[in-house]
Amino acid sequence: MTKKLLAALLLGGCAGNDDTQPDVANDETDAPVVYVSNYPLEYFANRIGGGVVRVEFPMTTATDPAFWRPDAAVVIAMQTADLILLNGATYEKWIDLVTLPAANVVNTSAGFVDRYLTVASAVTHTHGPEGEHSHEGTAFTTWLDPTLAILHAEAVTNALSERWPNSASAFQDNLAILREDLDRLDGDLGDATAALRDVPLLASHPIYQYFAAHYGLDIEAVTWEPDEMPSEREWNALRDLLRRHPARLMLWEAEPAAAIAARLAEMGVGALVFGQYGNRPDVGDYLDAMNANAERLGAPR
Amino acid sequence: MPGSLYLAWRYVAHHWIKTTILTASITLIVFLPLGVRVLIQQSAEHLTARAEATPLLVGAPGSPLELVLNSLYFGTEMPDPLSYADVDSLDAGGLAQPIPLYTRFRAQSHPIVGTSLDYFAFRNLSVADGGLFTLLGECVIGVRVAEALGVGPGDAIVSSPESVFDLAGVYPLKMRVAGVLEFSDSPDDDAIFTDLKTTWVIAGIGHGHQDLTDASAAAGVLRRDSMTITANAAVVQYNEITEANIASFHFHGDLGSYPVTAIIAVPPDQRSATILRGRFEEGDLGAQIVVPSDVMDELLRTVLTVQTFVLAAVVVIGMGTLATAGLVFGLSIRARQREFTTMVKIGASPASVRWLVASEMAVVLSAAMLGATLLTFVTAAYGPPLIRALLL
Amino acid sequence: MIRVRDLEFQYDKSDFRLRVANLQIADRERVAIVGPSGSGKTTLLNLFAGIATPHRGSVETAGQDVSSMSDRARRQFRVRHVGLVFQEFELLEYLTVLDNVLLPYFLTPALKLDDDVRARAVRLAEGVEIDDKLGRNVARLSQGERQRVALCRALLTDPSVILADEPTGNLDPSSKMRVVDLLLERAQEANATLVAVTHDHEVAERFDRVLDMGTLQ
Repeated sequence: MTKKLLAALLLGGCAGNDDTQPDVANDETDAPVVYVSNYPLEYFANRIGGGVVRVEFPMTTATDPAFWRPDAAVVIAMQTADLILLNGATYEKWIDLVTLPAANVVNTSAGFVDRYLTVASAVTHTHGPEGEHSHEGTAFTTWLDPTLAILHAEAVTNALSERWPNSASAFQDNLAILREDLDRLDGDLGDATAALRDVPLLASHPIYQYFAAHYGLDIEAVTWEPDEMPSEREWNALRDLLRRHPARLMLWEAEPAAAIAARLAEMGVGALVFGQYGNRPDVGDYLDAMNANAERLGAPR
Repeated sequence: MPGSLYLAWRYVAHHWIKTTILTASITLIVFLPLGVRVLIQQSAEHLTARAEATPLLVGAPGSPLELVLNSLYFGTEMPDPLSYADVDSLDAGGLAQPIPLYTRFRAQSHPIVGTSLDYFAFRNLSVADGGLFTLLGECVIGVRVAEALGVGPGDAIVSSPESVFDLAGVYPLKMRVAGVLEFSDSPDDDAIFTDLKTTWVIAGIGHGHQDLTDASAAAGVLRRDSMTITANAAVVQYNEITEANIASFHFHGDLGSYPVTAIIAVPPDQRSATILRGRFEEGDLGAQIVVPSDVMDELLRTVLTVQTFVLAAVVVIGMGTLATAGLVFGLSIRARQREFTTMVKIGASPASVRWLVASEMAVVLSAAMLGATLLTFVTAAYGPPLIRALLL
Repeated sequence: MIRVRDLEFQYDKSDFRLRVANLQIADRERVAIVGPSGSGKTTLLNLFAGIATPHRGSVETAGQDVSSMSDRARRQFRVRHVGLVFQEFELLEYLTVLDNVLLPYFLTPALKLDDDVRARAVRLAEGVEIDDKLGRNVARLSQGERQRVALCRALLTDPSVILADEPTGNLDPSSKMRVVDLLLERAQEANATLVAVTHDHEVAERFDRVLDMGTLQ
């Protein structure tokens, strides 16, 4: 469907925005518009297509994109976009709740569906003993594995090239540079995790599956927030976990509260920040943030 | 007004019952063949135009006519469903743009058409009020639906249950009207359009319900272990998708197995169309592909054959009616011989008397022609939609 | 004047024969013709009017030999010079009183129907006291009123000869003499020759002269 026709079909009435919904940008330029569903895709799209396309990341930094849901105004804006890039691997929980033009939607992980990982600890539900049932949950933080990040970037490049073939050569050149950066990152993370292979590790959230699988790490996860003191039951559960999985390091998306870190330290578990960066980092970009992850991971303890 | 015409007018007006019956009979006999031809011709043109605007249609093996009538004109006869995986296959094949349709449900008499946004550009449909659907549970309605149900953007429409007695069947879904389409003089004016996924919610294969991990949903839990919560029939399922509960809506299983009733295939060129048809006609894809205009041509050939017989019958009846009318006029003239004799005695010429009688016949025939013309215009204006409703 | 000389008339396929050797009716004379049924009274009127033509002899009406005219000429003569009053009135049931009076003008393109003619019709109606019924359909009139309408129709073209065939034949006794008086008065007013056929001797006695068919033939 042409952008103009769809724009003519849609009106701008929208629900009131909340903190998770930034103002929809007015399209004052002729640049094609590409919507993305998380920050890594924004980074890749800008690295590859910047200067040709305008990349729209429709969330504030206060949002966790994995739990974001667009309102009608954003959906309308996405419907008129030239391209919508999704992470896939069930990352976009909202995708089944909205209407988007199928021809403009690209699942950037569709090329490696066979490498999706299931989340063994997810609680699902069924209806009746023989009723409808869900698959076990699918892990979605694919970009934490640089080799999968390269595949995401290649999918972005293909999508951009198909739609703007006149710039395909430039897109390929940009991809080549990005690929080198990601290869380098892969090497750095490999070096940083060398000493951690076969060492039991903990994670505050079950978000490191692809990272762990790629680098051969043994990570068990709980579901703790960095700014919320876990309950005594949760501490007890952790103790039980440590008996069979004697980890001495716990990965956190953000710096845990001092009290939590202290209590973990009493149990002989150190805290280390390894951000997942589904949304924009406070400082720097995706590569900067992942390199910082690698530095922290590889630092002597 | 000439004297004979005035006398003729006074005569037919005075004998208005006889005049009315004669006029009505002649009107009908003149109108019937015209009306039938106009009706069928216009209906055929309308049906054919929609079929010709639809290059290819993919459906489950079965009656091509049923597939076309249901997909293009939203007829009530439902073809067997395909699966959504067929839509993906068609898309992946690169030979045609697929536009899925799921037309199983209705809201009162109006078909609910689950489809994609591409449908609106394909059918050149534009929005008169509001906008297209953006979220699950929204719909866009044709202008006749808006008029019939008295609804507009922001109002709600409830889908009809398939069977009053099917207690375990699909539940009605309350849908929010996002927009009203411009009049298109097509079956789209009577339809309610939603996202395909919304029709799957109506079908019950997608749903929203209480969060089973929440304590308030305890009554709906059949069994719980560490990994799985099994819900029982008491779990409260939502029959309306709102801002508050939309996040709870989900689809179980593989979306590729979900049903569609047909796929409109829009090939970019004739070569792609030919290749695509060839692949389906090889017969191993588990689906059929039809050219809607070919199917409608076949139907209309049958209709035209029937029309020929109808017209022949009308001509025969017409001849009888005209003969009867002639007899009525003849008997009337005979009964008025004394009147005509008096007129001649007073001074009228035989020619004047003949003019008088001819004027009376002319008044009746003129009224009949006028009536037949008016009826033909009315038929042309209102008949084709009626025929389409009857056919479908 | 009406003059008949050596008249012979016979209907086709009939044995009836009418013979009048000599008959003269002066201008403005009011004559009643009496005789039994089947004696030829109506036939004689038809011959005076030019509705029928004799096999032998001549008929002059209003100074013109109608017996030698063509059909067309006789019709035209009749329209202009002859007013006819019939026993059965012969009004058109589907016309109003006024339209019945104006009938000759509707039937004859040569006669121009204008406001003067309409005014004359209204005056004639006033003269016979039916002017309040001009818009009414004749089916709603009494027998006497109908004959008065017929009288107005006969007088509308200002004929020089009025021929009345049993003008009171279908009237009740109370209407009969009234209509006869009106017929006589209007004929005198119009300076027209009046010939009325009747079998009613009471009616005949009102006329200037009574002719018996028995003595005519």
